[in-house]
Parts: sequence; structure tokens; C-alpha cells
Amino acid sequence: MAENFDVVTTYKSLLLNSPELSMPVAAIQSLVELIKHSKATTMSEFMLSIKDASQQLKSSVRNSISLSAENSQDVADFEIWKKTLIIRGQSFVEKADACRYKIADLGVPFIKDGSVVLIHAHSRVVSLLLQKAAENHKRFKVFVTESSQTQGGIRSAKVLRAAGIPTTIILDAAVGYVIDKVDMVLVGLINQIGSYQMAIVAKAANKPFYAVAESYKFVRLFPLNQYDLPTYNADTLSFQELNVDQSSLTKEDGTIPAVSTSSTGSAPSQTALHMKTSEDRASQGSNPLVDYTPPSYITLLFTDLGVLTPSGVSDELIKLYL
Amino acid sequence: MSKNNELVDDLVAKLKRRQLVGSSTVAQATLKLLIVVISKNNWTTCNQLVTLVKSVGRRLVQANPTELAVGNIIRRVLHVIREEFREAESIASHMDQNETHSAPLTTSSSMYNLLGETGSTPAEKNVQYPSSLRSNIIQEIREIKDELENIYENIKNQASLQIHSNEIIMTVGRSKTVEEFLKMAAVKRKFQVLVAESAPSYSGQEMALELSKAGIETTVIPDSAVFAVMSRVNKVILGTHAVLANGGLVAISGTHMMAAAAKHHSIPVVVCTGLYKLSPLYPYDEDSFNVTFNPDSVLGFEEGDLIEKVTVTNPYYDYVSPDFVNLFITNQGGHPPSYLYRLIVENYDPNDHTFDL
Repeated sequence: MAENFDVVTTYKSLLLNSPELSMPVAAIQSLVELIKHSKATTMSEFMLSIKDASQQLKSSVRNSISLSAENSQDVADFEIWKKTLIIRGQSFVEKADACRYKIADLGVPFIKDGSVVLIHAHSRVVSLLLQKAAENHKRFKVFVTESSQTQGGIRSAKVLRAAGIPTTIILDAAVGYVIDKVDMVLVGLINQIGSYQMAIVAKAANKPFYAVAESYKFVRLFPLNQYDLPTYNADTLSFQELNVDQSSLTKEDGTIPAVSTSSTGSAPSQTALHMKTSEDRASQGSNPLVDYTPPSYITLLFTDLGVLTPSGVSDELIKLYL
Repeated sequence: MSKNNELVDDLVAKLKRRQLVGSSTVAQATLKLLIVVISKNNWTTCNQLVTLVKSVGRRLVQANPTELAVGNIIRRVLHVIREEFREAESIASHMDQNETHSAPLTTSSSMYNLLGETGSTPAEKNVQYPSSLRSNIIQEIREIKDELENIYENIKNQASLQIHSNEIIMTVGRSKTVEEFLKMAAVKRKFQVLVAESAPSYSGQEMALELSKAGIETTVIPDSAVFAVMSRVNKVILGTHAVLANGGLVAISGTHMMAAAAKHHSIPVVVCTGLYKLSPLYPYDEDSFNVTFNPDSVLGFEEGDLIEKVTVTNPYYDYVSPDFVNLFITNQGGHPPSYLYRLIVENYDPNDHTFDL
């Protein structure tokens, strides 16, 4: 078992060391590390330790699902199998990076010369897409929402300005104000808080709303409303309490990704709010980090499987989990 | 390089000069050429054949990028080729008794499978393909040809399901598919058709003439009157030049206006199209698949004084976004726009959406 190996610390250090890393990938990578360290000799012991680790990570059900898919293997050649699993896990991590580039290539033709793009918060794949478009000599302007919880917009603006793209940071509340100047809306994580209202505004203004996502972010969920997200899973998809001690506030350095998938403290949601008094906190209630955007608001999704309509995603999902 | 360069050059020239226009004609010509190219050239592996077809295909597509049917037919053929090779390979590996894993020629599925894969997949195996492979592929392509020839049959057979007695139907432009569809419906039902004249080509007038010859009660209306009479229409039936991957249409100009008027009045919009018009491409912007024609018909040279002072353009197509369309009637039945992605998956290989080699 992995008594002497802490998955959560590995996960966190991975994220800290390379902010380029996306969370599910980091989760997989730390699970791979765990497998390496694992001294398990039987299948069930191994599965137990993996499940345990996944629970600890509380990253998402996906990981354990794909891992449990491995269960059908023969126990006899367990050691060999363990090695192949490690290799495959590593290739997953490598491919994750490649697929982000593929998405960027797919999305570039959608950026028209002279257009204005509205993006939300910070997303690696969206930034990459825009950078690629700029490299291809597309001239366009970007509006980015500040995204007050995570300050992701400021990060995005830095990245994009470095790439020579004229970028304006706007208030989250100003989406409706700028939408008339905008030709298209581009969001990364479809569930980052604020995406939903952005999608509604885009729909009302008849602007295309494109979501960019790697296919490993597809989850087999069927939320019926905003409050139907799997709160049991982790703090990821639940309402974050604002009662956070000051130490975790000071720790904030912006390297923590947009939606924190870790189960422990250091939730990035509080920095901008700077609650001074406890009454303030109480009156603030709770603030969610994610929301749910129904498919009818999404024009197209750019994924590593190609450009998909929202109905096309369900098809891919069925393929994945069959 | 293809042995049939003259034939390819000929078709390329015809496409470039627009001597060959219209999705149906262009599709059939492309298919005919591909049959010759595939049967007359030497190839042994899947990659060789795919590269050959793609190199011919790319020239044809570049010759006239707005004729999307050319690309569609090439993709269909490539899909057939890949399928046949896959089948031959699985049979071959079955015979060798090592059917542990037959490598799929395309690995475009998600990253999830990485974790679940049972082993590395070799890119190209040394499989002895059966000698029947060539004839099988030609056979399959001939089936596409048959499908193209029977396309109107399959579409018009659904006419009596869509058109009811005493309905008022509106359409725009001249579409062979819609014409056949309405004529077929007229055999059983009595209904009235309003045709927008479709200036400046006035193809709507030709359409009206054809319909009235078939004994259908037909009225020609000016394009500007479409909105005014829409309130009394029961159904809008449209033809199209191409259908894009998101369900959007590239259709004769005036279609967008008619579809928007129909939406305003909540009138159902039905699009009749053969599947060969379905393209896996997305509309990057509204103008990407448009062409502008000779503006002479809009403002002729006899208006010399005026012509100096104004810019005249004559765009031939409209882009109609998918939310204006309620139903597609294809040779495989009726489908809502949201289902088109499925048809694309079934008919084309994801590796062939672009012709990059």
C-alpha cells in the first residue's frame, strides 16, 4: 500500500511546479506516481489503494472510472500489467499536451481577421488558441472578464498581451455592455462560474458561443439544473464557504488553477472578496465556483476529437463509456 | 502521381471555368473520375490509395472550392476505401489466427482509450490483401454512384408524408430536388405553391413554369413580397447548394430572408437535399462559401451614368444558420439539424475532413 506516499502532496506540488499543467492531467500523473510507489501484490489491494487515492484527490470520478476499466485484466501477470499501466498513464499525460495543440489548430479558422473575441477568466487552451491565431497573422482584439474569484482574467491578459494581442480586461458585470462590440465568445472550462450568464447574454445578442475543451474533460453527467451538479464529489462542484482563515488568503499567488480540484483549503475563490469582518462573510453567504451551461446556449465545441455540436458530444460520451 | 492526368486536368478545367456547375452534376463527374483513377492506377496499400485519391481530390477541390459536393464525394470514396481495407485486414488477421488485436486504421477516439488500450497499435502491417479487394472497392463506389442516381427517387417518395391536401407551400429558386418532390406530391395531393421569383437570376420563374406544367397551381411572387404572404403559408420547402456540418445551409440568395420570415411566423422550414450535399466543414464565417456573380443582371451597362457612381455586387448564395431549419429530408429519411453530425460520422472518416496529406 501507499502508506508512505501522499497523493495529495504530489498532486499539489505538480500543479505548483508547472502551472501549465491542467488539473485532470496532474491527477493522472500523481496517480501514476502512486502506482509506481505501490507495493500492492493483488488486484483488489491495488484497486483499493487507487480508489483510496482518487477519493483523497477528489478530483473527479473520471479517473477511477477509466482505471476500473483496467480491472478485467489477468491477475497472473500483475507486475507486467502494472508496468504497462504506468507507461500508459505517462503517455496520457504526454498526449494531454498534444491534444491542446490540436484543439488550438482546429479553432484558429474560426477567428476572423479584424474580429473581437470575448473570453472568460483564464483557460490554457483558449490562450493557446488565441496565441496560435496571432501567430497565423490574424488581427483581432480580445475582451477578457476579470473573473473576480480567481483573477484569471488578469492572468489571461498578461499571457495574451505578451503574444501581442490587444487585450482589454472588463468587469464581470460588463459582459452585457461589451457584447455588442463582440463577434464571438470563447470559453474554456464550460463550467467556470460566469460562463452561464455569458452564454445567456451571447444568445440574446445572437453571438456565437464556442466552448473549448479537451475530451478528457467530458463527464457523464446529466445535470437538470444549476444545483444538480454532483456536490458529493468534492468542493469542486459545491458551494464554497467563505470562512477561510487568513493564512490561506495570503498564500494565494495565482498559480492555483481556475477551478480548484483539490479537496483541502486554499480555495482560490476568496482573494478578490477580501472579507474584513465576520459579518461581511456571513452576509456574503456562499459563492459557487462553477455553474452549468445548458447545451442549447453552446454553438459549437472545439475538442481534440474535432469540432462538435453539443449533440455530438453525447455521442462521443456514449462511445467513451460503452 | 495519377496516370490519368488528362482526365483530372479536364475536370479541373471544367470546374474552374464553371462549365460544370450544380451539386448533382459535379458530384457525378467527380465520382466517375475517381472510379477511373482507382481502377487504372497501381496501388497495394491503403495509404497509397488514400494518398492517390487525396492528391486528385485536392486538385478538384481547389479548382472550385465553393462546389462542396466535390469534396463530399471524395470523402465518401475515401471512407469506403478505408472501410474495405479494414475489413480485408481483419479477415487476413483472422486467417493468421492472431486476431488478438486488429489495428484500426484510424485512431481518432478520445484520450480515455489510452488508459484502456490493450497494447501498442502498429501503424502499417504487412497484410496480404485478397485479390478481390480492388473489385470490392470499385463495387462499393459503384453503389455510391447508384445512390447518386436514385437520390431523387428516395427523396420524393417522402413527399406525400410532408405535403397535405390544400396546403400552401412556398419555395425559392430552382432546385431539381424540390421540383421532383413537389411533382411527386402533386400526384396524390392538390396544393398550391408560391414561388419567389429569385431575382436577379429569376430561377424561381423557371421553377414556377416547370411546376405549372406538371399541373400544380403555382403563383410567382416578387422576392420583396415573401414576408407579406408568409402568414398564409403552411410550409416552406427549400432546396440547397450545400449543407454544412452544423446544419447550416449554403443556398441561393433569398433563402435566408425566406427562412427568417418563416421563423417569424413559426412556419416550418423543410430542406430537401441529397446526402452528397452534406459537408463536414463548418462555416467559419458567412462569406466563406459564397461567390459573387456578374452584376450585369442587377445593374446593366445601359445604366452607364449610374454604374460609375455605385458599387454593384451580386452574391449568389446565402448562409442560413441551422436554427432556421426544422427538418432535413434526405435520401435516408427525415432528420432534424441536430442529427446531422451523426450522418457525418457515418459517411465520412474524421481523418478526411481536410485533404492535408
